[in-house]
Amino acid sequence: MHADRTNRTMLILFALFLITVGVIGALTGFGAFGAATEHNRLFANPIGRYFGAQGAWLWPVIAAAAILMALLALRWLTVLLFSTDRAGDIILTGDRSAGRTTLIAGALTQAVCEEIETYPGVHSARARIIGDATIPGLVIETTLEQTADLAALRRRIETNAVAHTRQALNNPNLPVTVDLTVTDRRARRAS
Amino acid sequence: MRLINRLLAALLSVALIAAGVLVVIEVIADRVFHTSALIHWHPVYNWADRTSSMQGSVRVGSIVIAALGVFLLLAELRRGKPKRLPIASDLTDAAYTRRGVAATIRSAVNDVDGINHTDVIVTRRKVKVAATTAGRQPYTAQSLREPATSAAQRRLDTLELSPTPRLSVRVTTRSR
Repeated sequence: MHADRTNRTMLILFALFLITVGVIGALTGFGAFGAATEHNRLFANPIGRYFGAQGAWLWPVIAAAAILMALLALRWLTVLLFSTDRAGDIILTGDRSAGRTTLIAGALTQAVCEEIETYPGVHSARARIIGDATIPGLVIETTLEQTADLAALRRRIETNAVAHTRQALNNPNLPVTVDLTVTDRRARRAS
Repeated sequence: MRLINRLLAALLSVALIAAGVLVVIEVIADRVFHTSALIHWHPVYNWADRTSSMQGSVRVGSIVIAALGVFLLLAELRRGKPKRLPIASDLTDAAYTRRGVAATIRSAVNDVDGINHTDVIVTRRKVKVAATTAGRQPYTAQSLREPATSAAQRRLDTLELSPTPRLSVRVTTRSR
């Protein structure tokens, strides 16, 4: 979601780039590459000379690389700003001879939440479908009251609500993530 | 950290897009019109051509750039506090949130008679509880250490975390 892994990788690469540039600049500045280079001008180095000699073809190549870099960065920014891990409606597997059945993701998550919220000790529940419409996953976020039997409630969620969802999707291996948190507030229940 | 990373990533990607577009525009302008288009880079070129690599500003600039890089690298490689602590379960990928674990342990220790206030820090491997007591008899820090530890351990065991973090409990008398 939001390209978090890509973000980290790119920032690590950027950090390494900064370190390389900074260390080479500092080493040159303090004369670590010998007396011959320490009084040189900034462009008086093999790279600067190469650019000076080969500029005729090098700059167009750099411009082409810059276009590629800008396009990749644009794609990265788009993923960063607009991507989501939520799946759309779910395509049910099984016999398709009579047509294809899709299940509205919102209806499923609402049903899961409503079931979990009926369990005594549950303060609130939220759910979302993630992944692909054909290979979905379910994420349930449940807030439990701290006076509840937390382990028993967790088992109840797994053996009832999750089992019912897997049954509804005809997918006993549906990947399910359950995130539990605890609050000192009490849920308001209709009597 | 995730939010800061997203912000930094957005800034870096915008900077890369801007730099890429700028390079293309400047190369075309230089080739076609023999002039600069958006940035007057000739003064920059001239400055670099007459500046020695031993100049103080170059040294300081290089050190600052390297330090920024090291800072960013360390921040990225550092493992932060876990958002969720997994539970031993065969049926689902179940976990308690770090805040949830802290809240329930805090509540268990606060329920011990004589404990006035409890702070809980949850890391990947350890749950650190710091409880304070008023210190009046019979609720001294020494006498409450055992019940506070038992209460925290019992609650931690009921969470069925896998792996179970180590528990450390410190009970102190509230300073007046």
